[in-house]
Amino acid sequence: MDYVKRNRQIANSYYNLGLEKANIRDLTGAVSCLKKSLRFDKYQMDARNLLGLIFYEMGETADALVQWVISMNLHPTDNPADRYLGEIQRKPGQLEREGQTVKTYNQALWHAQNGNADLAVLQLARAVEANPHFIKAHILLALIYMSREDYVKAGKSLYRVLQIDKNNPKAQWYMSLVKQNTGREEVEKKRLKNAFSHRKMEDDDIIIPPEYKENTGLGSILLITAGLVIGMMVVFFLIMPASTRALNTKHNQELISYSQNISDLNQQLAALTEEYDSLQAQAEEMETQLSTIEADQQAVLSQYEAVIGILQAYRQDDLMTAAQLYAGLDPALIASESVLAIVNQITEEMTTEGYQRLEELGTSAWNGGNLDAAIQYYEKSLQLVPDNTAVMYLLGRAYQQQGNTDMANQWFTTIIDQYPDSEQAEQAREARGY
Amino acid sequence: MINFEEEIRRFKPSLEVEEVEDAIVKSDLTDMTDIMMEMMKEMKED
Repeated sequence: MDYVKRNRQIANSYYNLGLEKANIRDLTGAVSCLKKSLRFDKYQMDARNLLGLIFYEMGETADALVQWVISMNLHPTDNPADRYLGEIQRKPGQLEREGQTVKTYNQALWHAQNGNADLAVLQLARAVEANPHFIKAHILLALIYMSREDYVKAGKSLYRVLQIDKNNPKAQWYMSLVKQNTGREEVEKKRLKNAFSHRKMEDDDIIIPPEYKENTGLGSILLITAGLVIGMMVVFFLIMPASTRALNTKHNQELISYSQNISDLNQQLAALTEEYDSLQAQAEEMETQLSTIEADQQAVLSQYEAVIGILQAYRQDDLMTAAQLYAGLDPALIASESVLAIVNQITEEMTTEGYQRLEELGTSAWNGGNLDAAIQYYEKSLQLVPDNTAVMYLLGRAYQQQGNTDMANQWFTTIIDQYPDSEQAEQAREARGY
Repeated sequence: MINFEEEIRRFKPSLEVEEVEDAIVKSDLTDMTDIMMEMMKEMKED
């Protein structure tokens, strides 16, 4: 079909462009072209293999493996990707080392993003030492150096990046900032200006040859002395610093190793602390559930006890206690059908006859001069049938007689406000003094 | 000048070797030919 052929042509063009860019070490540009090539034709084997190679060159081993494995799946025979994969796997431990380098970079990034730049620098230095082509690590290292205003070290890292990937946009941007801060920009501008400032020689210009002088004996002694001094200076300024640097490097390596161990232990500690917190939370939740279950069981037991108490009070004709226990009864907590049947019977008894008997008992107590007992009977009766205005009125009168005007007025007002059409409303008004 | 905190957030972790298998499975290999084939198939169905 035409469009299939057309897509292949476009894919090939992008591949050629990518290859050209890769040849001049514009790796970022090459990656972009090769990805486009594969969007037009996923079977463009050369483009996929080259993309893998570029990823590998940039230190992204895993991304390279992804491309080469896919390439092998799409073209199982005569595929150079087979060789690339073989090369990586042939050397024992190479893949593990490269994988470890990527892990070190990821750890460094985590530390940098979480405010531990010192540890990040140590780990990044280790990553770029293990893989000097690891572009991302170089750039991150340069950024951290720039944040510390150490522009010389940042510039070195960026210079290495631009040697590997000439047009890396991030590296170019950072480099421009580094040059601004080191004054390098001005120097380059001047050099560029001087390069184009040569003028043509004119007839009047004279070239003066260097003058020849013969050395005298004193001159020779002076030259030998100067040579000795220079030699001593070389030892003092070049050889000694080199050995000191070697020692420092060794110490830094040890420091990196210790820092790595501390970092690993910190991570383990954080994981264990998190696990401990989680277990602690679970234990607290379980304790809460257990206490809730115990409380529920206690509530259920108390309901059964209340039923037994009501029955016992009935047997002893102690209606007051029966009503008191009934008021606190919650039938919803009783599961046994036989006990529920007894509760229903008690409820019927209490709501049809019990409240009246309590009213009668109250009136009898009042007539017998026991005003406190009368008030208690009336209140229990109202707990069973709360809208009984006759009992409300009697209770109000009882309080009035007792001298508790506030409580008496409260009950009279309740009748007047909430039951204005009841028989007792008028009596309540009179009692209230309206 | 660069805002260090903001800039460092833009950095993404690199793909690790252990994640290669998962990355291959999740790779979107659709190319233009697949898309056009799909479009032609839909047109024929309509």
